[in-house]
Formats: sequence, C-alpha cells, structure tokens
Amino acid sequence: MKQFAALCLALALAAVPVAPAQAKDEFHLYNWNNYIAPETIKRFEEFCKCAVVQTYYSDNEELLAKLAAGARGYDLLVPTANAVEALIHGKQLLPLDKSQLPNLKNINPIYMNTSFDPGNKYSVPYAMSTTIIGYNDQKMKELGLPTDTWAVIFDPKYLEKVKGRVTVLDSANELFAAALKYLGYSANDVDEGHWKEAASVIEKAKPYWAAFNASSYIKELTVGNIWLVHGYSNDIFQANLDAQAAKRPFHILQGMPKEGAVLAVDNMVIDKDAPRPDLALKFIDFMLEGKNSAELTNLIGSGNPNLEAVKYIKPEILKNPAIFPDKAVAAKLEQLKDLTVAQRRLRNRMWTDIKAGR
Amino acid sequence: MRRQPLALWVAAGAGYAFLYIPLVIVVAYSFNNSRLNAEWVGFTFDWYTRLFHDQDMLAAAGNSLLIALTASAVSTVLGTMAGVALYRQRSRLLSILVLAPIAIPEILMGVSLLIFFVLLNFTLGLVSVALAHIAFCIGFVAIVVRARLAGMDELLTEAARDCGASPWNAFRYITLPLIMPGVIAGALMAFTLSIDDFVITFFTAGAGTVTLPLQIYSMIKIAVTPEVNAVSSLLMLLTLALIIVASRLSPSLLRSE
Repeated sequence: MKQFAALCLALALAAVPVAPAQAKDEFHLYNWNNYIAPETIKRFEEFCKCAVVQTYYSDNEELLAKLAAGARGYDLLVPTANAVEALIHGKQLLPLDKSQLPNLKNINPIYMNTSFDPGNKYSVPYAMSTTIIGYNDQKMKELGLPTDTWAVIFDPKYLEKVKGRVTVLDSANELFAAALKYLGYSANDVDEGHWKEAASVIEKAKPYWAAFNASSYIKELTVGNIWLVHGYSNDIFQANLDAQAAKRPFHILQGMPKEGAVLAVDNMVIDKDAPRPDLALKFIDFMLEGKNSAELTNLIGSGNPNLEAVKYIKPEILKNPAIFPDKAVAAKLEQLKDLTVAQRRLRNRMWTDIKAGR
Repeated sequence: MRRQPLALWVAAGAGYAFLYIPLVIVVAYSFNNSRLNAEWVGFTFDWYTRLFHDQDMLAAAGNSLLIALTASAVSTVLGTMAGVALYRQRSRLLSILVLAPIAIPEILMGVSLLIFFVLLNFTLGLVSVALAHIAFCIGFVAIVVRARLAGMDELLTEAARDCGASPWNAFRYITLPLIMPGVIAGALMAFTLSIDDFVITFFTAGAGTVTLPLQIYSMIKIAVTPEVNAVSSLLMLLTLALIIVASRLSPSLLRSE
C-alpha cells in the first residue's frame, strides 16, 4: 500500500510541469466570437508588436461568473452595459487613463456618460445592436403587413395572417421590453400594473407564434420557414447575408419599430488585474480610430457609436435605418437596466406562467 | 442461435437508428456546399479546406487532443490503482473518495476547482484543465477496473504468489493482463469524457486556452457553420480509429464473454 501511495504522489507531481516562460508580448482579449475583424487584429499586432490572444464568451453571465470566481489573465473585456455596471459594483475594473485615449473624441456624445458608468470612468463604447423586427420582404409584401411597428408581432389582427411563421426571443427581459414599448411605456418600466398589461398582450399573441427561439431563428429565416421575428439586429443582418449567399429569392430585412426598441451597447473595459493594462489602453485607442471601428460594422452589421467610422462604412449598411437610426428613432431606443431581486422574481413568475400557458 | 422475434429486431433497429442517424447527418452536411445545415445543395470539400486554414479551430483541436491524451494516460494509471485498491480494501471511505467526483454535478466541480486553483495562485491554462480532467476521469476508470477485477478469479493471483512471485510480479504478469480490457476501456472512456467536456473546462481554462467544445460553443451565437461538422467528422474518425486500435491491443474488449 505504501508503494502505491508513493507512486501516486510521484505521478501527481510529475503531472505538474513548470509554466512556460513567455517570450513575446501577449495581449489577452476576452471577447464575443466573431466580434472583431481579422484584418483589424493583424494591424493591431503590427502596431503594438504583440500577439493578440482571444478567448470567447457567448453570454454576459458567463463572463461575470468566471471573473467572480477569480479567473485572471484577461486584459480587455467587451461586456454589455448592464454587465459593466455589475463589474463596476464588483470593483473588477481599472479606471481608464483618458490622457492615453486621444481618439475618445470620435465617439458620439449621445452614447457617452450613461447611467451605467457616469463620466465613462471605466468604459468606452465598442459597438451596439438593437432588438428589432426581422422579416422576409417577399412574404410581408404579399400579405400587406407593416414592418415598422411592434403591432405586427403582438396584434392578433396582423398575426392571424402569419400564424405559425413568427418567432420571438426566448428571453423574458427582451420580450417584456418589446411588449412594454408596444403599449407605449418605457422598456425599463417597473410598474406591476404595466407588466400585467404586457403579460396579457404576450398571452394573446402567443397562440400565433411558432416558438420562443433565441438560437436557430437565423437559420429558419434564411431557409424561409419563418417570415417574421423579434430578434437581434446583428442576427437578422447575418440571416440576410446567408440568404443572399444561398441565392434565395427573398431578402431578410430589418424593421425598426416606430414605438422604439431595446439598445445594447457593448463596451471596452480593462480588468483590474490585467497583466498588460498598457496594451489594453493602446487597443482601446486603436479601436476608437474610425477605420478600425468601421471594419467590425462592415463585417457583422453592428451599430457603430463612432462618428469617424461613418466614412469607412459600406453605403448599404449606412443607409439601413435599423443600424443607423435617425434622431427621432434613436431617441426612442433604450438600454435595459438590471432589475432588483424582487422585480426579477416577479418577472420570472409571470414569464413561467406565460410559457406554461396558465 | 435461437431466432429472435421480429419485434425485437425492429426495436433494436429503431434504437440504433436513433443513435446513428444524427451522426450520419452531421458527416453528410460537412460535405454540403452551403453555409446552412438545412438542405442539400451540392458536394464540396470546401469546409475541410477552410478548417485546415482556421488557426483558431486548429489550435483548439490541438489543445483538446493534448489534454485528452494526457488526462486519459494519467487517469488510467491512477484509476487502475484506485480500482485495484477499491477491490482489495473494500473500504467504504475509499470508494466514496474515489467515486464522489462522478456523482458531483459538473458545474459544482468546475467552480470549486477554479476557486481551488485561484487559491493556490495556480496560473489557469492547459495544465489546470488537464489536472481537472484527470480528477474527474479517475473515478470512471476505477469503476471499470473494479468491475473487471470482480469478474476475475482471485485464485490465479494466489497461485502466482504460491509459486513465488512477488506481489508486484503477480500483479504485473497475472492480474494486469487479465484486467487489461477493463483498463483499455477505462482509458477510452477517459479520453472521450475529456475531449468533449465543456462545463469543467470552461471554468478551469485560462485566458487564451481554448478547447474544441469551448470554441464550438462560442460560435453558436453566430450560427454554427459546416466547419463544425467537418471537425466533428474528423473527431468521429479519430474515435473510431482509437476503438479499432484498442480492440487490436485487447481482442476481448469488443467481444462479450
């Protein structure tokens, strides 16, 4: 038995090699997948004389969970605004040295100084998306349905023409926000009576929907099984690219509801334990240059808060009102705030009731 | 051989169809000339070409293989020892210690390992992932080995000892060859568990450490391309090759006795 124990110990120790020495400068970017153009990375690597190492997350909660448990080694993160707020509360971020960010002036002031990070002490806007209507242009035209109002998603009068061809996001917060907007309230309205109204709107529309779907609706739109969705602007943009590549006879277009919609702004922030905060600052300023910022928009159709980027963005994206809304619509876009524990509990209960059909 | 009733054949056929049709579809669509896994357009090797030029995906696959090979090798040695110990000692405490990692929910294990590594100030990376995988694979190997030992005739070892073999020699020349199918099965199981683990890997992987499951999962948001089918098909081929090699090494592995 003793021999066994000794052998076990020897093996266990042998299995722990020494950490390899790092020769080249490395910059660790913790990002969403496909959220930076490959050519941008290449140019940054030349500029900073370092290697960019990307790790990906697919959900803000993933990022928060991992950092909260103590994972370290990331220089720059790209969380959505409400996650930035959570990270600030958790004292997880490094304040930005604005003197190192001369390009900060390129950002449209309406996206600066938000309630999530007053004065932009920690965060700088990177890119954004909206939660809007996506539709099959051919079918909507045939059926004579409007595409600039939430009514088409919620009003049975319209829905009966597209019964079983509509999906909505499988997200309580997004769907309630859309229903509240449809009713003329703020997406961040926390009045219980208003929530009940929204829930009843959702319940009346639910029989006409094919599914609550947050993952495969891009594909369903492209194939032509689904004609109308409540979804993210980047996804709808992707669906159209796919549909064109597959030579479909229709387009998948983005409809910005006149009642307004949810806006999600992703921000660059520096981890407080970043091994290379100097490279992170360099990266932020680099991404604030118009050309670099524009490359992402050209790649995935994301909204762009950078005024200098406009010159480099493809004209067909620039004239898309869902990606670059005019002033009147932009004023009706709202970023979702985190709910309190009690509010979240109430919303979860209402959501469960809706999904269970009670 | 007795003729089996038709219903049994049908049920077995349906069962296997349920298991294998999805795999066949994955492989078929890896040759499909369309970004969408929705309908057949035409035959192409395009996705494989693209895969071999995708640095991210190749690095992830390389990491996964390295981790799986290390984890299965180390956990097979440790797990075999644990299996033998479980069989010989029959201690309740020992079985709880060895088998608990199997019963613990993965998410709990992932988080606690992460906290443990952070506490030790251990840099997260390939090594931490490999250690975590070894930790959860040992239990599986131990179970298989113990089951194999339970089916073995203990008198054989005793006979070897009577003939003057040292405990080590008796183990090396009698016990080990007899339990070899179990050891190999355990190693294969460890390899498979390691290569497709997501939850524990997610928590224990550090900045820049990407494995295949992590890479594929992060791609889900922007719709999975057939490149994922291509890499999955290659993995299936690899697994198949491993099973064939294993069955050559130990012919009784695939035969029921």
